[in-house]
Amino acid sequence: MTTATAQWERVLLPNIEQDQTEWLDAYVAGGGYEMARKALGMAPADIIGVVKDSGLRGRGGAGFPTGMKWGFLPQGLFPRYLAVNADESEPGTCKDRPLMEQRPHSLIEGVICSCLAIEAQQAFIYIRGEYYKAARVMQQAVEEAYAKGFLGKNIFGQQGKNVDLVVHRGAGAYICGEETALLTSLEGYRGYPKLKPPFPAVSGLYGKPTIINNVETIVDVPHILRRGADWFKSWTHERTTGMRLYSVSGHVKKPGVYELPPTVTLKDLIYDICGGIRNDHELKFVIPGGSSVPWLKPHQIDIPMSHEGVAAAGSMLGSSAVMVMDHTVCPVWAVANLSHFYHHESCGQCTPCREGSAWMHKILRRIEQGGGRMEDLDTLRDIAGEGKPGSGMISGKSICALGDAAAWPVGSALGQFHDEFVEHIEKGCCPYKNKRYWMAGGRFVNETFEKMPVL
Amino acid sequence: MPTILKDRTDEIERLAVRYPSRRSIMLPVLWMVQQQEGWISQQAMAEVADVVGTTVAEVYEVVSFYTMFQQRPVGRHHIALCDTLACAICGAMEVAEYLKTKHGIEKKKVTPDGRFSLEFVECIGACSIAPAMLVGETLHGNLTPDGIDAILAQCP
Ligand SMILES: Cc1cc2nc3c(=O)[nH]c(=O)nc-3n(C[C@H](O)[C@H](O)[C@H](O)COP(=O)(O)O)c2cc1C
Ligand code: SF4
Ligand code: FES
Repeated sequence: MTTATAQWERVLLPNIEQDQTEWLDAYVAGGGYEMARKALGMAPADIIGVVKDSGLRGRGGAGFPTGMKWGFLPQGLFPRYLAVNADESEPGTCKDRPLMEQRPHSLIEGVICSCLAIEAQQAFIYIRGEYYKAARVMQQAVEEAYAKGFLGKNIFGQQGKNVDLVVHRGAGAYICGEETALLTSLEGYRGYPKLKPPFPAVSGLYGKPTIINNVETIVDVPHILRRGADWFKSWTHERTTGMRLYSVSGHVKKPGVYELPPTVTLKDLIYDICGGIRNDHELKFVIPGGSSVPWLKPHQIDIPMSHEGVAAAGSMLGSSAVMVMDHTVCPVWAVANLSHFYHHESCGQCTPCREGSAWMHKILRRIEQGGGRMEDLDTLRDIAGEGKPGSGMISGKSICALGDAAAWPVGSALGQFHDEFVEHIEKGCCPYKNKRYWMAGGRFVNETFEKMPVL
Repeated sequence: MPTILKDRTDEIERLAVRYPSRRSIMLPVLWMVQQQEGWISQQAMAEVADVVGTTVAEVYEVVSFYTMFQQRPVGRHHIALCDTLACAICGAMEVAEYLKTKHGIEKKKVTPDGRFSLEFVECIGACSIAPAMLVGETLHGNLTPDGIDAILAQCP
């Protein structure tokens, strides 16, 4: 059976194609909020136990085991807070937006179950500023839930069980997805990350113990409670369990958000599920886990899309966002584009990240535009390292992981496409002459192609 | 005396009780200002400082950190076009060129009739429907020349 013909039951986003919001009545009619009710009767340690058994790992990027994270809360210290990370800004990642826009109540139910597990009475959903619709939908859904008594004081009529939920909007800063930056932003300051330890589980929001989880992680919790840890583990590759959402973008015929098991291979994902490369072009390279992870070449894609599977190929599953480039994409141009992102989004607290990201961007842009020198490659290699943790001048030498994220794509591009960098320098120009035409997929060719300046 | 926020006091106080610390209303109140005025002026920052209970310098520090807070007036319909990788390889630059040549909308400028302004932004979480842009609060993806004409035609 090929992957495309296999049918999996979709639980997170069963009707993603319809792009409609499921409001409270419809959600309840489909069995919604039953698990929140059930969790009210469970001991917190038991809820955490089920989550631990399921092997659930965070969907935000690092893949940290959720049950274990919850277990780090110091005994007897209250109040505690839950912060849901809906900042989703890693380029390529676009899965939390449909989750919130289409199934807002599944997130609220997840928040209730998680708050009961970690004994928190107050939760926040931090939504990136660009997600106007998601924030509107979530706000309205929260109001519905308050009106029904599912949120607020004495939820579901149970004395002493309180869960307050606030929808909080960011204002356009990638760094606020980093957990400590998210908290400083929520406190009303610039979104500056903090050095860890102390970890937020010990000292987080307003200095109190705080758990931060990705939207999809929290949405998984009621599903696990409903069907059990073994159900969740029926899709397992090594230590990666459960169905998850893969965001696929770039040059595939059918880009989109797909709910799949971790055993699906990257090759099947691209060629079966997404219909292959557009115009039947050749595949050039793939970014398998959001823009910060090392790149994979076509011979490396026959791997399961689990944390372990992607790591074995030398990259990372990250936020499971797959970006696919066909042979019309210049890798030097592509990494220059990404380096602009990290240069722009660096919060500026640490010198290696602030200066390093700017320096790499300047050099890459110069090479791309034809003004590169051979020694530039050594300089880039010194700054970026080999696309591995700890190598180079930035990775492992800054407060948060954005520094690493800025360095890895550059180190990896240099390793994977060294010859093309050299070709740019030797020819003094970008060899991908008509890249603009192809990159646009021909969509704009009649209107503007003639007028396009050559980069 | 507040002028910009004068009718919003109740709303702000209802917001404040929802957070354990008053300082947390900083971003929500700045959003209130921007939604009402379109941008955040010096005068507005002074009022926000009063409401939050801090100094103008601290408000400015926050405003200048977050790219979505506008420090000068924008068009009635502010366009935020994504030019990060997924959109860039699917035609974001062509969209920009089209906006300029066909509609006279240019990066970092407000059109003379005050109708549109354009800004290039980093990934807006719509990568699977690239190229994508926000017009005001509405997201549009899979942009094509005809699609863009239709979207802009609906903006008064
Ligand atoms: C620079 C940076 C940006 C991040 N952005 C996000 C994000 O947008 N969404 C997210 O869920 N996690 C993001 N993370 C990961 C969070 O720090 C954190 O690990 C995660 O929210 C934990 O949730 P999880 O355990 O459920 O994955 C980011 C991390 C870094 C270093
Ligand atoms: S690594 Fe970069 S983004 Fe992170 S705290 Fe330092 S300067 Fe800021
Ligand atoms: S890259 Fe444009 S929306 Fe993500």
